[in-house]
Order: sequence, then C-alpha cells, then structure tokens
Amino acid sequence: MRIFKCLLRDTLRLLLRHWGVSLLTLLTAASVFFLVGASALLLVNLRTMVQRVEEGLVVQAYVKKVEDLQALEGMVASIPGVARVEKVLPQQALQRLGATLEGHAQALEILGENPLPPSFEIRLVRAAFASGVVRELLGYPQVEDVVYAGKLAERMARISSFANRFSFGVLLVAVVASSLVLYNTIRISIYSRREEISVMLLVGATPTFVSLPFVLQGMILGVLGSLGASLLLGGAYASFTDFIRETIPFISVIKDPRVFFQLGLILVGGGVTLGWISSWLAVGRYVRRAMRPL
Amino acid sequence: MDIRISGVAKVFPPDIVALEDIYLTVSRGEFVYLVGTTGSGKTTLLRLISREVEATRGHLTVGDFVLRKMKSLDLAFYRRDVGVVFQDFKLLSHLTVVENVAFVLEVLGMPPKEIRERVGEVLERVGMWRRRFLYPDQLSGGEKQRVAIARAVVNSPSILLADEPTGNLDTHTAEDVMQLLLSINASGTTVIMATHNKYIVDAYRQRVVELRGGRMIRDEKRGRYEEDENF
Repeated sequence: MRIFKCLLRDTLRLLLRHWGVSLLTLLTAASVFFLVGASALLLVNLRTMVQRVEEGLVVQAYVKKVEDLQALEGMVASIPGVARVEKVLPQQALQRLGATLEGHAQALEILGENPLPPSFEIRLVRAAFASGVVRELLGYPQVEDVVYAGKLAERMARISSFANRFSFGVLLVAVVASSLVLYNTIRISIYSRREEISVMLLVGATPTFVSLPFVLQGMILGVLGSLGASLLLGGAYASFTDFIRETIPFISVIKDPRVFFQLGLILVGGGVTLGWISSWLAVGRYVRRAMRPL
Repeated sequence: MDIRISGVAKVFPPDIVALEDIYLTVSRGEFVYLVGTTGSGKTTLLRLISREVEATRGHLTVGDFVLRKMKSLDLAFYRRDVGVVFQDFKLLSHLTVVENVAFVLEVLGMPPKEIRERVGEVLERVGMWRRRFLYPDQLSGGEKQRVAIARAVVNSPSILLADEPTGNLDTHTAEDVMQLLLSINASGTTVIMATHNKYIVDAYRQRVVELRGGRMIRDEKRGRYEEDENF
C-alpha cells in the first residue's frame, strides 16, 4: 500500500511536471484513437451494407428441362461459394411474375403457354464468389443461361476488400503513431528525471521501482487519450447518423449501442496496452543502460 | 563487510589505464584515506567498489557480493549497504534537505514513521535539523556536504565511500565534516575517503593508501599525506 502510494505520487508528479508535453501527448493519442475508432465504424458500416446487398444477391441459372433441375441440384449446391439453392419450376416462376405485376396479372393471360423456363435461384456466401459460380454453371450443358447482377457483385466485392485494406492501413499507422508519441513523451519525462533516477539506482532502488511510475504514466496517458477519443467519437457519430437519416434515409447506418460500447472497450484496451508497451520499452532501455557499469 | 580487491585493473576505452594491479583488503570498521594526485585512480577505485565501474581484470568482493556480472536486483540490494558521498553532492535540487534524505528510505520502501524518525536523527547528527526545509540552492558548500553525508548514512550502510568530501571547503568546515565521518566510522561503518586534503590526513591519522598513475604505491597504517621518509 505504501509503495503504491509512493508510486501514484511519483506518477502524478511526472504527469504534472511536464503538463504541456502530457497534454500534447493526450491530444495526439486522442486524435489517433479517434481516427482508429472512426475507421472502425466506417468499416463496420461498410461491411453491414455489403452484407445486406450480398444477402439479396441472387444468381438465376436457367435450365432446358424440368428434369434437369433434379439432376443438377446436388452438383450446383456443391459449387464453392454457394450458400443456398432453390429450384424454381415454370409454374412457380409465373406465379411470382403475377405477384410482382399485382393489379395487372391478367396481362399474363395473353401469353397463352407459360414461356418461363425452369431455373435455379442460387444465393451466395459472398459476392466475391459470383463470377466463379457463374463460370461453373455455364460449364453444365443443361444450363441455358445465367443471369446475375455481375457488375454490382464485383463492385461490392471490391468495396469490401478496399474497406478491409484501408481500415488495416489506418489501424497500422495509428498504432505506430501513438506508440511513437507515447514513447517519446516517456523519454522526455525520463530525461527530466535522469539525475533523480541515477541517485535512485545508486542508493539501491530496484529497476522495477524506478520504472513503474513511468509505465503508469504511459498507461494513464493511453487510457485518457482513448477514453477522450471514444467520447468524442460517440458524440460525432450520433450527429452523423442523425444527419444521414434526414438526408439519405435509404442508407441504413448502424446505431446499435452495443457495437459502440464494444468499440469503446477495444479503444481503451488498446490505449492501455500501447501506453504500457511504449513506456516499458522506453524506461526499460534507459534503466538497463543506467545500471550497466562503465 | 570486508572489501577484498585482488589484481584489479581498469582500462577505459580505447586504452586509458585507470587502475593497474591493485591488491587491497579493507576490514570491517576501518577508516582508509585514498590519496594521490588528480588522475591517480582514486575516484575509479571508489566507483569500482560502488559498482558504477566494472573491473577489466581481477576480482573484487565485498562481503558475500562478487562484484562481477551482478544481476540488477543483486546490485540494488548491494548498493543499499554502500553509502556514497559524491564530490558534486548529487542532491536533488527540487527537494528540500529533509526530502533529499528521506528519498533514500522511500526508495527502500520504509514505513513513513520510521522514515521520519531516522531522518530526524541523522539530520540532528550532521547538524542540519534547523535547515531541514531549505533547498540545496539555499545551502553553503559545507551544508550541502553534510546533507550528502546524511543521505549516504541514513539507512545505516556497512560501507561509506566519500569522494573528496572536504574538497572546496574551508579548513574549519572541512574539520567539521571530518569529525562527522569519524563519528560515523566509530559507530562501525567502514569509511573509504578519497582526498587531496593534506591537512586533514595529517591531522586525523588513519590508514593511508596512495595511488600514482593507477598503481598502488603505498599502504600505511596511521600514515601521513606524504610518505614518511622512515617508512
């Protein structure tokens, strides 16, 4: 308890002695974590949008005869990337068409014989599988034609992969930037106390005793920065979703508080971890060097 | 704790020989003056004992501690038993006298009550109790030296290493500091003092070890600053 009090006092002293640097670190860490949080939210929203479009993405494969449906069903279902296969008989297809025409269903009567061929309605695991599945389907002689929203599927796949890469890039830059900022702040603190540290080591302080206030300082800065970023992000995102709802109502953005709470936890956890690692590296290196005899 | 130095040499890069072939044993409770001209190796020898410097060759043991390839935790525990008075005092300028002395005990995790008692005791002993709330910048050279001594002995170390503790002090203040070191020695602490002060060495006769060019050229019981012709 006594050591803990001593440690807290030393940490506060470190934070306050260079309050300007501490504040700057806090602001930088908060900006970096804000960027991470914002890109994570962008990614989650993009993924959800892509997922919704993908769920509605259907590949329609028309076959020559009704018997082909039975013969091909197993093979189509086993194509990689196929999530679900549904057989559509000509009669069912006609009923669906009637349903979509609603009040104009009598128009179908002028067709006479049912012109609609039997088909498979195929749902995919992801849009990226579309071209592969279509290629496979066209390889079967029984398949007459394949219709799917090819361009849309490819675009969705590209957006999804770009969003993944972009978020990973942002995350990497943010992690490196915040680590460097925290590392340098701790180094400045160490530099300002180098005399004190050398006396501490000469009178018999253990390396852990010397290091802990600096490590705690790094962790506090990391936590405060990420916490500030989370709160700011919460406010900004709420305004953003309200704006989207009013101006582009057909785009649905996530407003689940659980997602936001999880993101906050991840950011704060990341702040603690980065603060701990950067400060431990900075102080550990210094103390090892200071203890090494000439 | 006995200090045993056997065949110790210290060469600083690239090839500056600071100490060469030193054999010295200091028994517990002894008072030893290290004398010699500037650059003779006195400070290096003290720093070898406090393990700020590592010997290039030879063996150095202090009590049960072998001062070679020590682990950092062992070094911390070793240093708790070796007080050092630096030539430039090394007092922390942002701490008061009482805080400078208490700092050592806080580092060692001592209870606050015990810290207050010990610090009070040692400041009384060095005559700095009345000036305890002043900062180092507000003290004279002699007072700073007293505080530095108080800090070095507050945790009752077995060995006290003092590097020129009377340097830059007038004769009267130097005598006060010397009396203080002798009283610390009288309570059982081994004292090794590097000095240039001929007057002090001659006035308070103790064992004298003389170094020249990094070599030990004299080890005399109750010696003088300069070699006795009859020695």
